[in-house]
Amino acid sequence: MRLAVGNIILAAALGLTFFSGCAKKENVIVIWHSLRPVERQVLRAALDEFARRHPGWEFGELFYEPEAARSNYIISALGGSGPALFRGANDNIGPMSELGVIMPLESFFEQATLDSFLTDPLEANTWFRGHLYQIADNIGNHLCLVYNKKLIDKPPQTMSELIEIGKKLTFDRDGDGKPDQYALVWNYIEPFFAVPFIGGFGGWIIDDSLRPTLNTPAVVQAAQLIYDLANVHKIIPLECDYEVANALFKDGLAAMIINGPWSWGTYLDAGIDIGLARIPKIDATGLWPSPAVQPMGYSVNVNLKGEKLRITLELLRYLTTSEMQLRFTRISGALPSRIDAFQSPDVQNNELVRASLEQLMVGRVLPPVTELRWIWDAMRPGYQAIFRGRETPAKAAENMQKLAEKLIRENRG
Amino acid sequence: MASGVGEIKVNRLAYLYTLPALTVLALVVLYPFVYNVVISFSNMNLAHFRDWRLIGFQNYLTVLKDRSFWYFFLKTVLWTALNLIFHVSIGVFLALLLNKDLKGKSFYRTILILPWAMPQYITALTWRGMFNSEYGAIPLLFERWFGISIPWMTTEWGAFTACLITNIWLGFPFMMIIALGGLQSIPDELYEAAEIDGASPWLKFRHITMPLLKPVMAPAVTLGVIWTFNNFNVVWLVSNGGEPSDTTHILVSWVYKTGFTYFRFGYAAAFSMIIFAILLIFSWNFIKRTRAVEAVY
Repeated sequence: MRLAVGNIILAAALGLTFFSGCAKKENVIVIWHSLRPVERQVLRAALDEFARRHPGWEFGELFYEPEAARSNYIISALGGSGPALFRGANDNIGPMSELGVIMPLESFFEQATLDSFLTDPLEANTWFRGHLYQIADNIGNHLCLVYNKKLIDKPPQTMSELIEIGKKLTFDRDGDGKPDQYALVWNYIEPFFAVPFIGGFGGWIIDDSLRPTLNTPAVVQAAQLIYDLANVHKIIPLECDYEVANALFKDGLAAMIINGPWSWGTYLDAGIDIGLARIPKIDATGLWPSPAVQPMGYSVNVNLKGEKLRITLELLRYLTTSEMQLRFTRISGALPSRIDAFQSPDVQNNELVRASLEQLMVGRVLPPVTELRWIWDAMRPGYQAIFRGRETPAKAAENMQKLAEKLIRENRG
Repeated sequence: MASGVGEIKVNRLAYLYTLPALTVLALVVLYPFVYNVVISFSNMNLAHFRDWRLIGFQNYLTVLKDRSFWYFFLKTVLWTALNLIFHVSIGVFLALLLNKDLKGKSFYRTILILPWAMPQYITALTWRGMFNSEYGAIPLLFERWFGISIPWMTTEWGAFTACLITNIWLGFPFMMIIALGGLQSIPDELYEAAEIDGASPWLKFRHITMPLLKPVMAPAVTLGVIWTFNNFNVVWLVSNGGEPSDTTHILVSWVYKTGFTYFRFGYAAAFSMIIFAILLIFSWNFIKRTRAVEAVY
């Protein structure tokens, strides 16, 4: 029995060590984000600066791909843990607030502070059902045409021009039957990256009543155009995900890429002389492709309380200051969300920012609603089936609509 | 009942020792299991996470009526069977070779165990890159050697085959090690006696190696079936979450997607209970058979 008592004491000691380890985690504040390495360094430096002012506290950051970031955050926050701050696009706000994993923030910020954020060309901070859930650190998150000035002097203005130039810029150097350089690359198998073209044909993915609008001629025509760029005009690769597209552009094996502000810093850092332009106009409609426009920002984990919540909010204020936003603008051309930062010469005289704004002005703001989540999820399988030769664009559009309606019905029912 | 209480009193110390383990087991296995059963009867999803209510067997009916369930079920059976056939045949074949007096045997053994020693996700992502039709090593080699272009990752069965090849590469070392252990325990005298009787190598394999290897391989195959049936990592990572168009799924990757991408928690819980039932029935039968096989020794 004495042995048993000894073991119980040992177990208790181990338990205490374990729980004291847990207690230590109380002084660690972590941010989950999807920032690319160049911007991540800026964030890391900012956290180090902030840490020096808060001895006894540790500040960490962790990268996840956007989809994984959202899913992992929701799962961990539902389980009572997760990072203190989550940084992402505002289309996460609907699902996250409905699941109750992020905290309403309006009571923590004075009106004067909130008034210092942009409301034009779009509302920077995200309100949902009467509560503030996200403080923006930049706006946009929109796709642009990025071109390598070494490979192309002037970006094409229309689709027909793109196809014409594209045939010259796509070539097989070594004669092995495979192109060694492509005119254009992008992650076109992901619906988010197809959305500008839907807008270019006069359509959109959601209406004002939050119903999906996927079974439309605009969606069919947009998908057909992208399919033709790969299979008929052969100016984009037959198989191209985000990583392949990025690698080709960074290695100088693609003249143009369609990508968002999160990537521009990486290209600049790699020494590529890039220019930004609008995605070429659709000849048939005379419309510019309209990328989805969203604010990017920070949300606070609902599980925080006490001192940790206080320090987290302080960090949130620090990371969204004008000075901090301008640091990101300088390295990547990101559009700041504070009015004074947005109006500063650093932003207004920045060539990339001006071009990015040009594209933003023809983009469309996405509502931060949960229905959009189901629409994205419903689009992926149907849309990808087109490029796998399994469905025609018309049939795929019909399937996407049906699945989106089913997901909304099943979840809302 | 009285004897039960008496037994607890007598073995109090033993029960005390097992109590922490039982408590942890209850917390990490029993509680989630019971919770899963409860939510499988509920409408819990993204829109009804806090205000969920019980809806009876609706989720189970939805799963069983869903064509994708039966399709992925058949695919999972095919996936499991093909993997096991290749794992066992390659594993036993290599074990037979390594069981001979080869020069540099330990070197070969180390090399052959490597796929097993590497983290699955690194292997899976590396193979995914190698199957890329534009720049992957495998399509390029196929084109150079055989002049054929296989759309590995862009077609349903191409992606399935890519996942299969990856998992065969990952899984055969386990069977090889188990078979090698089994082979080393077979007494040489049996082979010597067969040799004297003039038995051919095939007859020796058929009548000595196979029956004596069976008791070792049967539990390994049971484990292999359960692992492969539930092998989420390889399918998910190689096919990039079920691409193309959510066709490259096995049951477990599909249930993950419905649960943690679509957040249909009630549906996913019911789905996982059905997977659990399938595996329970299989394992129960297989374990019973395995016990029967043990009588060979």
